[in-house]
Amino acid sequence: MLWADVRFTVLCALGIAAFPFLLHPLGGYSTLATQIAIVSIASIAFNLLLGYAGTLSYGHAMFYGGGGYIAAILVMRAMPQHPNLWLAVAGATVGTAILAVLVGAVTVRLYGIYFALLTLAFAQMVFFIVEQAKDWTNGDDGLQALPNALLPIGPWNIDLTTHLPTINLGPFGDLGELRLWYIFAGICLLLVLILFRMLTRSQFGEVLGAIRENEQRSTLIGFNAAGYRLAAFAISGGLTGFAGALRGLFDGTVPVDSLSIDRSGSFVIYTVVGGVQTLFGPVAGTAVIMFLENVLSAKTPAWRLIEGLIFVGVIVFLPRGLATVLKQQRDKNPRGLFVRSLRPSTEEPDPLLKPTGEGRRSGPMSIIETFKLGKLFGHFAANRDIDFRVDPGELRAVIGPNGAGKTTFFNLLAGTIAPNSGTINYKGRDVSRVSGTQRVHLGIAKAFQTASLYPDQSVRQNCRLAALARVQGPFALQVFRRSMRLDDVDALAERAMDRLELTGVADVRAGDLSHGDKKRLDIAIALATQPQILLLDEPIAGMSKDEARKTETLIRKLSTEMTVLIIEHDMEMVMGISDSITVLHQGTVLATGTPAEIRDNPRVQEAYLGGHSEAELAH
Amino acid sequence: MEAFFQALLGGLVLGLIYVAIAVGLTIIFGTLRLVNFAHGAFYAIGAYVGLVIAQRIGVGWAFVAAPIAVALFAVLLDRLVLRSFYDKEPTAQLLVTFGIALVVEETLRLIFGATTQQYRMPEALQGSVTLGPITYPAYRLLFAGGVIVMLALVWLFIERTNYGLIVRAGIRDRVMVQLLGGNIRQASTIVFALGAAIAGLVGAAATPIYSIDPGTGFAFLVPSFVVVVVGGLGSFWGAVLGGLLIGELQSLTNLAYAPASNVVIYLCMALVLLLRPQGLLGESEVIRQ
Amino acid sequence: MSAPPSVPAAVTTRLRLDGINTYYGDSHVLRDVSLHIGAGETVALLGRNGVGKTTTLKSIVGWQKPRSGSVTLDGTELVGRDMMSIARMGVSLVPEERRIFTNLTVAENLKIAQVTARKPGWTLEHVYEKFPRLRERLTHKGDEISGGEKQMLAIARALLQDVKVLLLDEPTEGLAPLIVREVENVIREIKAAGITTLLVEQNLYSALSVADRCYIIDQGEIKFEGTPQQVRDDAALRQRYLHV
Repeated sequence: MLWADVRFTVLCALGIAAFPFLLHPLGGYSTLATQIAIVSIASIAFNLLLGYAGTLSYGHAMFYGGGGYIAAILVMRAMPQHPNLWLAVAGATVGTAILAVLVGAVTVRLYGIYFALLTLAFAQMVFFIVEQAKDWTNGDDGLQALPNALLPIGPWNIDLTTHLPTINLGPFGDLGELRLWYIFAGICLLLVLILFRMLTRSQFGEVLGAIRENEQRSTLIGFNAAGYRLAAFAISGGLTGFAGALRGLFDGTVPVDSLSIDRSGSFVIYTVVGGVQTLFGPVAGTAVIMFLENVLSAKTPAWRLIEGLIFVGVIVFLPRGLATVLKQQRDKNPRGLFVRSLRPSTEEPDPLLKPTGEGRRSGPMSIIETFKLGKLFGHFAANRDIDFRVDPGELRAVIGPNGAGKTTFFNLLAGTIAPNSGTINYKGRDVSRVSGTQRVHLGIAKAFQTASLYPDQSVRQNCRLAALARVQGPFALQVFRRSMRLDDVDALAERAMDRLELTGVADVRAGDLSHGDKKRLDIAIALATQPQILLLDEPIAGMSKDEARKTETLIRKLSTEMTVLIIEHDMEMVMGISDSITVLHQGTVLATGTPAEIRDNPRVQEAYLGGHSEAELAH
Repeated sequence: MEAFFQALLGGLVLGLIYVAIAVGLTIIFGTLRLVNFAHGAFYAIGAYVGLVIAQRIGVGWAFVAAPIAVALFAVLLDRLVLRSFYDKEPTAQLLVTFGIALVVEETLRLIFGATTQQYRMPEALQGSVTLGPITYPAYRLLFAGGVIVMLALVWLFIERTNYGLIVRAGIRDRVMVQLLGGNIRQASTIVFALGAAIAGLVGAAATPIYSIDPGTGFAFLVPSFVVVVVGGLGSFWGAVLGGLLIGELQSLTNLAYAPASNVVIYLCMALVLLLRPQGLLGESEVIRQ
Repeated sequence: MSAPPSVPAAVTTRLRLDGINTYYGDSHVLRDVSLHIGAGETVALLGRNGVGKTTTLKSIVGWQKPRSGSVTLDGTELVGRDMMSIARMGVSLVPEERRIFTNLTVAENLKIAQVTARKPGWTLEHVYEKFPRLRERLTHKGDEISGGEKQMLAIARALLQDVKVLLLDEPTEGLAPLIVREVENVIREIKAAGITTLLVEQNLYSALSVADRCYIIDQGEIKFEGTPQQVRDDAALRQRYLHV
């Protein structure tokens, strides 16, 4: 344990110990401190989703109330003679985690409002089922008068309802009525804080943050984004159930309201007011709002209005507290209401030019090959009947007028979109239905037309994330270990930076790089996944002449070690660098050949020059 | 059999309320890209303004005052708070409008108390109408007819007027509207006020049927969001279809097995989201810019 | 063939750009771009992909705000105004992807241009006469017409308004050769109608055949100003900046 960890633990413990003494003079009644400690755990769990995974769940009451009900039923039915708190709480945690996996399996692929509404829908269904299963749950009345569950530790059976000694707080009177429960809840909160601190700094937290910051990039360096979000959802759900169980056992009652929409909303309020994406924010928010609810409600009927105003005020005026949510507008690929695919231009193909697939025959040597590959966007055939074949080690340029379907073709090869027809063979294996994430692990990597980076991370960390995916695979539940000590990851990342000449800016925030460096970093990220085929979509677009030359040289060097496919408009570069060229026009292959063949091909000239011959130029 | 027809009519009335709220939600989303969780608050404000005016001045005036008051409130809200959230991530919009809904609800609770209230219709409208095998309260039928007429007017506004043309163009491409010299901001404000006014008017008109308490707005909002998702976010006819579907589903389930009526709509939404995420009549890619 | 283009001796300047600098985030896209277009002139802005042609047009119409420099229309400053008011002053951009409202019919696409116009330009009859194919397609939705028809429609929308300067961004891009010819004819008609036009093209031959004067832009800077004939005659110039 490091000194910082010791200090963190001690400070947290002191804070938790001091809390009742702070609350009492302010007018908080004795059970409030314990309730706040317990609910804080649920808020921290909720924040794992909102703050760290970046998704708003509007159904967390299903886990909170669910945990309470499971614990209550366990103590009432399974062990009425000797209720054991450990077993009840463990049962609730496992039960709600399983519920979270089931619900998460269908929700994690949705975003924004759809995710919020679907979680809400599931919470409502759970509410309904619990309300209807009256024999078990007592319907609307909830479960009341739970037997007091004891806490067996070694030879002792601890009764948490035991009162602590009364402490005199001078002018503020006696702090009595505090029970052993507070110490237990406080220890739980302390452990959860320590756990979450580790979790958010672990490799798991690192990847989760990367997915939140740029999901498009994360899936295309080989992380299984849905898997990570599902894991986060399960951990969050289980821990919320844990808190719900504690609350039920502490209160001795589980009301049906613990499953309600309002309960789900309260976690949103606590967490947002306190500050998302921070460890203590949810705890602070829970303490402040629950204090207001319980103390202010006795003094003024406007307490809920005050609560609402605080909530809106924080969102509007303290965006820093909302850093995660508001920051995302800068993302190149915001996770919005709709999962937006890169739109191709919506040209309809003019039927005047007939496709002339000139793909060569398949041979044993190709590394990647397509047969009759087609992609429709609505009625528009962005790609049709593409026969394409590249040999290992080749540097192939894909050119064509804007709207010819080049980027769509690359997206099909990289697996970010699925073809409507045709097949893609990679090293002899049909990968048409293999996901983009899987294809990265097979050796196909892509750099984007508009650099797709993690703007808030350093250049090194951008590359490390890609290397991490290569080394650790699409999904690794490393919730405790940090990725810092992985030498092979560092080595891969350093090499990728070195190859793109980015070592000098390794510690610069990616968002602060120049345009050219951003484009090169995007290539370095792709390179750090150790690809066998590198897809580069307009790598020098928008670069200054010097930068373009430099990048061209770097790409030329890369091409000696791997197969490189490049989309580029700069004919000088294309002609100079490529082994061969494929021309796309109106969604299909117009010609394939060496640079010289392409230059002299009259069909290509026609496509590019709009039907004017060189002779016309001279008048 | 009579109970069935009663439930069918009840589902129509309920569904039309959903449609009215959902149409507002959907055209506001379509033009402003704003996910408005405060839309239920417009319903509630309309209902309370209607209540006060109906009790003190007259029912007729309630139907005039409610939409105007709510539209003014909406424009104020838009200018003061929401405008800066247009470009932000939907989650941020969800949170801020949820907060506004909370503030409105609590303000109404402070002013009007937590109890359920209602105002009575004039004697003339209190009777019942016999339609074949069933007897149905006249006001409910009138209400249903009124909402249909209102929706038709909204549709005509969107489909047949110059403003509507700009609004529809703006749904697809806000930049191009401006490049043609169209005033997209003004059109947006009108749409926002219109959507709010519809909710406010329906709130006032539905109070004699459903009564009102401060939580009613939110209680109607959540099913209306379900309606929008089921029908397809941004689609007018999606909102109509979804609203009637959800209203009938809820009403008929209530008849068959009452406890399930509150959950069946969520089941329906979950199914739609899983099988056809863009909604029944939604387009898969509505967004550009 | 056609008579050699000539620059009228003393035309009044309609549109003038003076030292425009435009950025995307921290990327400096336009560097001190200055150019001018006389009333009734057709000027081509040439250059390769990604050198700042479209950004120049966006900077004129207020779509992308320049950080410094000035754009004047008949002496009135445009920088600082929003897109709507610049459009209403008669600066009409026909953007690169045409941006037809695909959820509206062709007739509605035309109607909205009339509705939003501050002053009317061509009549619908005039438009149908010049674009007979649009008349046949009036009830089709914007996504049910061909690329060429979309381009015609996009230009027609601009002409229905009282255009002082027409900005055409790559009007022949992505079109089949026959359609390209049709679009070129339309541009000639526009020129014959005396409408001031700034034509952005990658398609050199298309542009040279219609322009009175041309500019070449590279890496965000204007590198050349002259006549189409000069560009035709100077192979080195073409090779350096246009790679053809």
